[in-house]
Amino acid sequence: MSLLTLDSVCKSFGSTRIINDVSLDIEAGEKHAIIGPNGAGKSTLFHLISGRYNVSSGAIGFKGEVIHNLPPYEIARRGLARSFQVTNIFPRMSVFENIRCALLWSEGYRYSFWQLLGRQRTLNEKALDVLERIGLSDKAQLPSGELAYAQQRALELGIAVASGAELIMLDEPVAGMSNSEAENAVALIRRITEGKTLIMVEHDMNIVFDIADRISVLVYGEIIATDTPQNIRSNARVQEAYLGEVPSDA
Amino acid sequence: MFEVFVFATLNGLVTGLLLFMLASGLTLIFSMMGVLNFAHASFYMLGAYFAYTLSAYLGFWGGLLFAPLIVGCIGAAVERYGLRRVHQSGHVAELVFTFGLAFLIEEAVQFFWGRDTKNYQSPELFDFALFTLFGQEFSAYRGFMIAIACLIFGALYFVLTRSRVGIIIQASISHPQTVANLGHNVPLIFMCVFGVGTALAGVAGVIAGPVLTTFPGMATVLGSIVFVVVVIGGLGSLPGALIASLLVGLLQSYAIAADVGMPELLHLLGLSFDSSHPLNDLWTLNLPQIAPVLPYLLLVLVLIFKPTGLMGNREQ
Amino acid sequence: MKKQLPVWLGFALALVFLPSIFDSVLGISILNQMTIWIIFALSYNMLLGQGGMLSFGHAVYFGLGGFMSVHALNLIADEVLVFSITLIPLVGGAVGLVAAIFIGSFSTRKSGTVFAMISLGIGELIVASSLIFADFFGGEAGVTGDRTYGPPFFGIEFLQDAEVYYLGAFWLFVATLFMYLFTQTPAGRMANAVRDNPERAEFIGYSTRRVRFISFCAAGLFAGIAGGLFAINYEFITEENLNALTSGRVLLMAYIGGLGFFIGPIVGAVILTLMNSLLSNYSEMWMLYLGIMFLLTVIFLPRGFAGFIMMHQIAWQNRRLGTLILPYFVTAVPALVFLAAFVGLVELSHKGDDILPFFGLSLGAESMLSWGILLALAGIGALGVKLSRPRLAAAWALANTPTADDRGDVR
Repeated sequence: MSLLTLDSVCKSFGSTRIINDVSLDIEAGEKHAIIGPNGAGKSTLFHLISGRYNVSSGAIGFKGEVIHNLPPYEIARRGLARSFQVTNIFPRMSVFENIRCALLWSEGYRYSFWQLLGRQRTLNEKALDVLERIGLSDKAQLPSGELAYAQQRALELGIAVASGAELIMLDEPVAGMSNSEAENAVALIRRITEGKTLIMVEHDMNIVFDIADRISVLVYGEIIATDTPQNIRSNARVQEAYLGEVPSDA
Repeated sequence: MFEVFVFATLNGLVTGLLLFMLASGLTLIFSMMGVLNFAHASFYMLGAYFAYTLSAYLGFWGGLLFAPLIVGCIGAAVERYGLRRVHQSGHVAELVFTFGLAFLIEEAVQFFWGRDTKNYQSPELFDFALFTLFGQEFSAYRGFMIAIACLIFGALYFVLTRSRVGIIIQASISHPQTVANLGHNVPLIFMCVFGVGTALAGVAGVIAGPVLTTFPGMATVLGSIVFVVVVIGGLGSLPGALIASLLVGLLQSYAIAADVGMPELLHLLGLSFDSSHPLNDLWTLNLPQIAPVLPYLLLVLVLIFKPTGLMGNREQ
Repeated sequence: MKKQLPVWLGFALALVFLPSIFDSVLGISILNQMTIWIIFALSYNMLLGQGGMLSFGHAVYFGLGGFMSVHALNLIADEVLVFSITLIPLVGGAVGLVAAIFIGSFSTRKSGTVFAMISLGIGELIVASSLIFADFFGGEAGVTGDRTYGPPFFGIEFLQDAEVYYLGAFWLFVATLFMYLFTQTPAGRMANAVRDNPERAEFIGYSTRRVRFISFCAAGLFAGIAGGLFAINYEFITEENLNALTSGRVLLMAYIGGLGFFIGPIVGAVILTLMNSLLSNYSEMWMLYLGIMFLLTVIFLPRGFAGFIMMHQIAWQNRRLGTLILPYFVTAVPALVFLAAFVGLVELSHKGDDILPFFGLSLGAESMLSWGILLALAGIGALGVKLSRPRLAAAWALANTPTADDRGDVR
């Protein structure tokens, strides 16, 4: 059984259809990239899966359970985490606190107002561990709003994976980074998504071909192809969508 | 019964239109700048006080002409030197600023004019009954109030929808960046809109002062009702503000006029309690008593069931 | 927590010894007021500073707690209930909590402006109903009680204000401690997260509505405790203690003190209580000054007084704090001159025929010389500030590292 299934998912805003009859199966452990021209609806697709938007029709299932139209926190609790294209952290809290908060639910703390966080040894050790893995240990006490951009993106990543989610969705994780920063980020992504399922929206084809097991191409809200990187590269429809025509030497 | 209904309707209309004069300025300012001006009713109060002072030298009409101008200038200055700086600290800071401003204006009014009620009279020109219906007079001054209010709304509507300035303003409401990129001076537009909004409040003060009494508490009395109206109508919607203003004005007017209450309801249900019952206050409740509360009740209900207001579509 | 033990110890010691320092009747009275308002302001900051929820109706929980507490005092006096009045704040707290649970159940659904407006509406509703339900709220006259009729607490019958102070100080310490501890719990931290980024908080598994509801109830609880203390202190409560003005006052305190810091509201409550009590003795115009000070704080010190102090943290870390002393002094002197002249002008305009004593001079409203002196002083002061500002700005820049900037980001 696939980890995540999308079944004829449609989404319209008013009379504008953004996502049109998208069906997709993601297997556990797979690294799946979603590519497509700007405005194709990639972020919208993410929002649908993670619960920010409700579907207009169709179904989304995760680990056999129906998750479409559930509120985001319900979906997150089931083991699905995502990062955002525009950095979405808790700017006034310290880097350490950001990660610790991301761990709270999965460590079983719920809405407790009787447990002092300073005393929770396991929780704090895990948080430090995550900080170590994303390379921000030395910045732990800094307010996260004061980090440099690339470090904020790393924190963004850390928040997404801290809870040990099985499915991680990354929305343009290296957007706005220099080449060296992007290289580090990709290495980081590889490390922390080992053994997990990854869905990634990305524009940089080098990264996509480097990481992805399979690629889906989204154009005008429809998936026109889902296949291995090699086959996508030589797929005529894909070339047409990106270049407007099939190159003569394809 | 019928005459009560007619007069209640007319009075409700007057109140509603007055409320809209305040609510329209508030809505304009909110739409444009995203800030709920807590001090809006304070500018209304300033309008009344300035008109009171000016009318001693220039007569009522002089007051009507110049007081709103002065108030508008003060409003523009507040935007330019106060609000603009606070804007970068976020919405909460802006709200707190206007809240403090309301407080300060009330104190300043007491400082300059004293704490007593001012004898601000309506002009003798209107000291007659416009018509007499069923033995009750409807004063011409109230008719004048309705006329002025309609005149202003007509002008507002015309300017906003038909003139070039109006189009620019409407564009700045939703896309200030784009408008700025087109070469328009958006901060200047903001300042002018704030000035016009507060001037509108000032006009309301000039006309309402003689009727609703001119005293330092007049801003607090009307202030929260105006907010209620704007929120019920839907933040940022002028038509919504109009509907809500009339609704609240009429509702209160009818409630005050209708002399029914809990006793009648209980009678209908066949129940009765004697006066020593602990909830006696509840059983003897009648509509005129709860009339002041009705707008807030309506507010809470609207916010629970339709948080964007009756006609609003802007989510904060 | 370990390294904060000395702070709490210091706090407790200060509470114990303050009345020995300020032992006049006025002093004790002011201290009593502070105990009430500090708890109230801290409870408000649970909503605004920590939770990001702006409420214009927080006085409801304070007032309801207070009203129930005065009734409890009367029931104790009538010997219908028998327990020590030292527990009255718990009564207030319970009422505040219940009211918050009820009102919070529908008002925490939304945030931002809608939430603020609902709080305003509820506040006005409750104030209006208080005039209708005269039995519970005592109508316009309010409700009175007597704290001295209860069973003695280890021999103390609370006839003296100083005795009431120690009771208030005890509850202040306990309430502050618990409110602080709340910020160190999952619920408290998630409240911060929801404040910073409600969307992301949902994506890490938390219902923002639930988080806000918990903060809301906790804030109502502690506001009710403050109300209970109020009842003990004044033995009298009216609908004024429920209304928007009281809500506004606690908002002012929290804001002026500094929303982003735990001690902010404490600072704000202390400052405003002092201004309220002391200034009103010296000038009729104190509310005007309060209004001006408030506006200036909002414009120039958006992070409050606590924020202003914390702004110097970097300079302190750089060990350059000392370099700022002289520039501050050079700017402060003309600023104070301007302030004094301004106050003089305001006071003089309201003196009528009376004489205004001004630093050894006797000024009269009729005399052009008096006005001239004050205006000249104001001008000199303003000029002095303007001229010394660049030097202060330069010293400030030097004392901070190049990457620091003050964001003033109260959102």
